[in-house]
Amino acid sequence: MSAVSEYVHNIKDTVSTIFEGMAVTASHFMRKPYTVQYPDRMPVRVQDTLPFRYRGILDVDLEICTGCLACERACPIDCIVIVAEKDQQTRQLLLSQFDIDIAKCMYCGLCSEVCPTGSIHHTTEFEGADYSLESLIRRFVQDPVMAYKAKKGPETDPRIAPILNRGMAYLDQWAQPGGEKPPGEEPA
Amino acid sequence: MSTLRTEEMTLNMGPQHPSTHGVLRFVVRADGEVMREAIPDVGYLHRSIEKIAEKVGYRGFMPYTDRVDYVCAMFTNQGWGMACEKLAGIEVPKRGEYCRVIAAEFNRIASHLLSVGAMAMDIGAMTPFAHVIREREMINDLIEELCGARLTFNYMRIGGVAWDLPPGWREKALKYLDHFDPILEEYNALISWNKIYVERLANVGVITPAEAINYNLVGPNLRACGIKWDIRKDIPYSVYPEFEFEVPVGNGQWGKLGDSMDRYVVRIREMAESSKILRQALQKIPPGAVLAKVVRNFKPPAGECQIRVESGRGDMGWYLVSDGTGYPWRVHVRTGSFAAMGIIQKLSAGLMIADLVTLIASLDVIAPEIDR
Repeated sequence: MSAVSEYVHNIKDTVSTIFEGMAVTASHFMRKPYTVQYPDRMPVRVQDTLPFRYRGILDVDLEICTGCLACERACPIDCIVIVAEKDQQTRQLLLSQFDIDIAKCMYCGLCSEVCPTGSIHHTTEFEGADYSLESLIRRFVQDPVMAYKAKKGPETDPRIAPILNRGMAYLDQWAQPGGEKPPGEEPA
Repeated sequence: MSTLRTEEMTLNMGPQHPSTHGVLRFVVRADGEVMREAIPDVGYLHRSIEKIAEKVGYRGFMPYTDRVDYVCAMFTNQGWGMACEKLAGIEVPKRGEYCRVIAAEFNRIASHLLSVGAMAMDIGAMTPFAHVIREREMINDLIEELCGARLTFNYMRIGGVAWDLPPGWREKALKYLDHFDPILEEYNALISWNKIYVERLANVGVITPAEAINYNLVGPNLRACGIKWDIRKDIPYSVYPEFEFEVPVGNGQWGKLGDSMDRYVVRIREMAESSKILRQALQKIPPGAVLAKVVRNFKPPAGECQIRVESGRGDMGWYLVSDGTGYPWRVHVRTGSFAAMGIIQKLSAGLMIADLVTLIASLDVIAPEIDR
């Protein structure tokens, strides 16, 4: 007799717990879905919705690059190659090569952390698919350019000032050791 | 009357098998549907991360620790950071420790969510997986806002964390926790107490407490056998002594003590405990710096140290030997998944082949963590 009652009890348990589960599932029919239809049915581009700290594909603002090679040294996988030489005539640093191998980059953010001006920084761009590995090497220097030299006092050049402001705003996101401003080369 | 000729069958399960949680291989000796034994074959995901540490230096190794266990990378980050700090005698600011605990506990919830969801999917219940992935997605969004990445966080640094909490993040996190606690109840109604699910898990892969200790199990797998051992409580590190939380242990309510159902329920309860810790941490977080001052060219003094962290998969050990240069002399990681792999051969005797999948899922092994 007890075997029969246990059998019936088991069936009752099974059916009731299945309906409990189905009730949860059914309640989700009415809720707003959390998924989005990427990429063609988005009201705004995904890149614009990403947080400021998002570590996407690296970009370099050559106008404010000081050629200090801090990023090249910080990179654990050597995906950044910079050639900076001192011009014999003008006594200034000349950048003749600044390459980043996006295919190698692991988006750790160690390079943008050490940059004194925020020149090398992560964008929110993440769609990097391409047909060849060669095209994934981003070459930022077309013709050799002068490296940026920090001025005493605020930046006055109307072309460079907004870029520098953006760079410093980017750097402000990082934690400062001991809670103070980092001993950067650049006065904010 | 002649009998049917039967013979033992050797079956290869993996390395590419959807339910083995990564690249794992099992050589199964089976008699029909019943296994004589399943011999795990590890090493398919060996990336020599420990050797890489000797080449990239202390700061450069932090992003690599994300790849040791990518499901809960915060703990590997924390382990490496703590090992370096212990060797160099650096003290992390209070707020930095709180940031670490908050990030790590969110990561523990995400890790356990994935574990229980994948377990349900391995057994054949497809719906719960979508539910847990939705919850994990929300945690990923929070962590993305905190540190800019969803999986390979690289959030912690030697001496603290790289970013302070962004403005408004605390309120968002608390709001998420308010949303999360009822979700856990809902999830329990959906799958945990489902009779078919319980029948499938109870009394499968029973580990006795003595076996668990002999086979060196750690974390939720050990606690499911009724042994109350949690590094956060027993060898406290970081700011964990400041929080009130329980250590859930298995009680054999659904079958025998230490079966797959116990391991599953311990994970569900741990998520609720993590939520408790998070609430306290988010309320109590003090102001101040998050990163200690550490010289750019980090060189700890010669010596060795051992650090233990309670990760999502249990006691994670970091052993670090320094010879005083800018590069570690030797690094070793001891992970919970590797210990869990050892017991599979013993447990598999007499189980059905379909239950092997349950067993692997309930031990919550992550393939990259086994091999490093």
